[in-house]
Amino acid sequence: MKKTLRYTIIALSVALLLLIAACSGDNDNANQKDGTDSGEKVKNAGELVVYSSRNEKFMEPLLDKFKEDTGIEVKLLSGKDEIINKIKEEGENAHADILISNDIGALEHLRQNGFLQGYDAEGIESIEEKYRAEDNSWYGLSARTRVFMYNKDEITEDEMPKTMAELADDKWKDTFAITRGGNGSMIAHVSALRNEWGDDETLEWLTKVKENAAVITDGHGDIRRAVGSGEVKFGLVNNYYYHQQLNEPTDNNVGVIYPDQDEKDMGAFVNAAGVGFINHAPHEENAKAFLDWIMLPENQREFSYASMEVPINPSVEAVDEAKKISDYKVSDMPLRDLGDVWEDTRALIEKSGLDLEIGS
Amino acid sequence: MLVHVGMNKHKREQQDKLIDSRQVEGVFPSAFSHLSWRHLWRKNRQAGILLFIALVTALLMAVPLLYVMIRSFFAGKERWLKLLDGRIPELLWNTLSLTFLVTFVAVTIGVTLAWLVQRTDLPGRKTWSWIVALPLVIPPYVGAVAYLIVLGPRGWLREVWEKSAWLPGDYPFDMYTFWGIFFVLTMFTYPYVYLIVSAAMRRMNRNYEEVARSQGMNMWQVFWKVNMPLLRPAIGAGAILIALYVVSDFGAIAMLRYMTFTSAIYYQMGSYDNLSATVLSVVLVALTLIILWIEARVHRKGGYSQSATGAYNRPDPVPLGKWKWAAIGFLVVIFILAVALPILVLIYWSMIGWQEGALNSKFWMYALNSLKVSGLAALLSMLLALPIVYLKSRYPSALSSGIEKLSYSGYALPGVIVALGIIFVFNETPLYNSFLLIVIAFVIRFLPQAMQAQEASLSLISPRIDEAARSLGSPPWKVMFRVILPTIWPGILAGGALVFVSSIKELPATLLLRPPGYDTMAVRIWVEASEALYHLAAPPALLIIIISALPLRYMLNRQGKR
Repeated sequence: MKKTLRYTIIALSVALLLLIAACSGDNDNANQKDGTDSGEKVKNAGELVVYSSRNEKFMEPLLDKFKEDTGIEVKLLSGKDEIINKIKEEGENAHADILISNDIGALEHLRQNGFLQGYDAEGIESIEEKYRAEDNSWYGLSARTRVFMYNKDEITEDEMPKTMAELADDKWKDTFAITRGGNGSMIAHVSALRNEWGDDETLEWLTKVKENAAVITDGHGDIRRAVGSGEVKFGLVNNYYYHQQLNEPTDNNVGVIYPDQDEKDMGAFVNAAGVGFINHAPHEENAKAFLDWIMLPENQREFSYASMEVPINPSVEAVDEAKKISDYKVSDMPLRDLGDVWEDTRALIEKSGLDLEIGS
Repeated sequence: MLVHVGMNKHKREQQDKLIDSRQVEGVFPSAFSHLSWRHLWRKNRQAGILLFIALVTALLMAVPLLYVMIRSFFAGKERWLKLLDGRIPELLWNTLSLTFLVTFVAVTIGVTLAWLVQRTDLPGRKTWSWIVALPLVIPPYVGAVAYLIVLGPRGWLREVWEKSAWLPGDYPFDMYTFWGIFFVLTMFTYPYVYLIVSAAMRRMNRNYEEVARSQGMNMWQVFWKVNMPLLRPAIGAGAILIALYVVSDFGAIAMLRYMTFTSAIYYQMGSYDNLSATVLSVVLVALTLIILWIEARVHRKGGYSQSATGAYNRPDPVPLGKWKWAAIGFLVVIFILAVALPILVLIYWSMIGWQEGALNSKFWMYALNSLKVSGLAALLSMLLALPIVYLKSRYPSALSSGIEKLSYSGYALPGVIVALGIIFVFNETPLYNSFLLIVIAFVIRFLPQAMQAQEASLSLISPRIDEAARSLGSPPWKVMFRVILPTIWPGILAGGALVFVSSIKELPATLLLRPPGYDTMAVRIWVEASEALYHLAAPPALLIIIISALPLRYMLNRQGKR
């Protein structure tokens, strides 16, 4: 007994030492990778660190292709909007090279606070100016329109609300799903509403919508499944979730309404997903290579396709089901402005209590 | 085995002796307060290097807490007032009502099960004794996933319900409610109480019960008047574990769309608002301290100890008689709800995943990552806990008990806060964005589990053994390693196993600290489940359960033999 004990202790200590040694080895590597002197650039060639607030499933095919084309190893950190926070915490000691975001507001917010750096990627002109930053430190690649997606078994197209404002009507109590106000797409959308209605009216709308919503979720994936299965009659989502649900093997009897299409209305709100170049990026050259690479039309297509979004570059063809942006009326707020009002919008959402609210 | 026999013989005597020496400690510093600093210094100097290690560990443990506190000062009066006015009351109600109810029901289930398994003539109780502890290895967020598959709005039961003619009305189950999260948390946390109370019951001496019975008390009275007072510390400890767990749980609560302080903090951080998050955290920390304070009070009031005289007699099992079938029925229901059903669901979806090629090289890489961080955290915790526990027990002083308390600071904090604190501290160092930060987070969060296990073992060993070793000229650290360590080895291993199991299940800190390209199994479960890709979430969930089950079986065997 005693002997076995002693051997166990010795074995464990050795194992621990080995582990520590292995770890410190890793650290040395990490240090070298993170090193910024030019002498170490050669070792850097192999890596690109991508932070992403975009669904990982949409990113994987794209990043795998990048690796295949260039030989650069991609390390992906896929999260939700807390990733923006991480970039801000890291600041000058940045660990990421590229941010892929679902929301232009977040990209512009980062740029205004000095967390992005400018770079004119090859072929940047193919993206319309209103969809990129002043210094081209970020640019949008795919458009996402805020729409109502409904379950055709539960409600007809005629019965559906046709404008955003209607959601505040008691008539729709406990019939629809929205995401919580902390969701990136939601924040940007509220900014657009403020721009159109002013703060007081928007706050009233938010408060009412929070009361009326049957289900408040963290993300849009839950909403499309809830609408598909008839858990709720309809939901406020980005348009590609509708395309995704159509392609499900079951629960796919869904329709879509592009809201606010009347002459007097503001038009549907369009946001974009895009890429940003992080300031103090540890693998600057690889990041530039990525930014150039993704401008190639086939890669722009890949960026939008996995999620069934609509490419911003009109010469890149869209998925079959998707309406072109030119087919419907779009609100005229420049996306760039989303960054300015970011903080204010958040404060307003918080006031309404929708920012954290989750539940049924 | 020799060691254990020796331990049992001396056990009672030593416990009493320990209590005595503590009382003396309590009196002296206040009576000779002008001497106490010198006294403290002299006492602590002896411990030298051990003290240093313990102090550094404790400071490291306290770093996240400090970060939160400092940051919350910068939140500004306005933000504080706004939160205190609006959000905090609601969150407080959500958190407290859930914590209270889960703790209460889980304690009831845990004590009942422990009593049935340890003290009655239940058929097959040896087997039951580890079966009912199994939910411990199922993380509540995995349980939540399983129950969403079964009972959720697109679950199996709903389909059955809507297709069958004889089930009336609308589908009645809604997992996304208070009761959904209450059910899941209760089912997967009661083993904490069950295990601790079981251990206490095994130590109970039958002499007291015989006396009570000879005085004409019936079984029920014996349980309440004789057993309960002796079990109270164990029940209290288990209840605290559960309450702390509920307060800090993120995964299950977020998946079932409930909102407590912890999930609110997580979402608040996601929304670029660290400062509000720190304010909420401070309230949460206060809540935790209150829970711990309550426990300390209960502990002090229940100052019973078994006396020294007489040999240990194992009590006779209570005959269940006609209640036998009801008892078995109860165990079976618990077994089905907390073990069989979730595991069957996961096996079913793992099979689907397997057929669709989910067990690829990526999957095994995630598994390896999990093993690496959890194993390392377990080893470190076993090592770091020892000096703290040893000092507290053998050199009790304001300093050593302060060190011990500091070491608990990360325990009750939600992983989110620990993670942000760590990022803040290590941001400028090369450690940042390496997997070691996850290990550090695990140690901060779970070191107390190793400490508790070691403390329990150490309290059974007489300080006289140490004194003897020291009188032969060994310095304290040597005594600790050569004499104490081998004797309390089972406790150390048990502590390590606990840390390992907790680490492999940990979700929020791993989510926030994982370096790019370094996912663990827990992270994958979270990601895939939130996309409703159950065939991808099930295989890692099942693997976590299997791995966690291995040390548990070992631990229970060990305790059984003793």
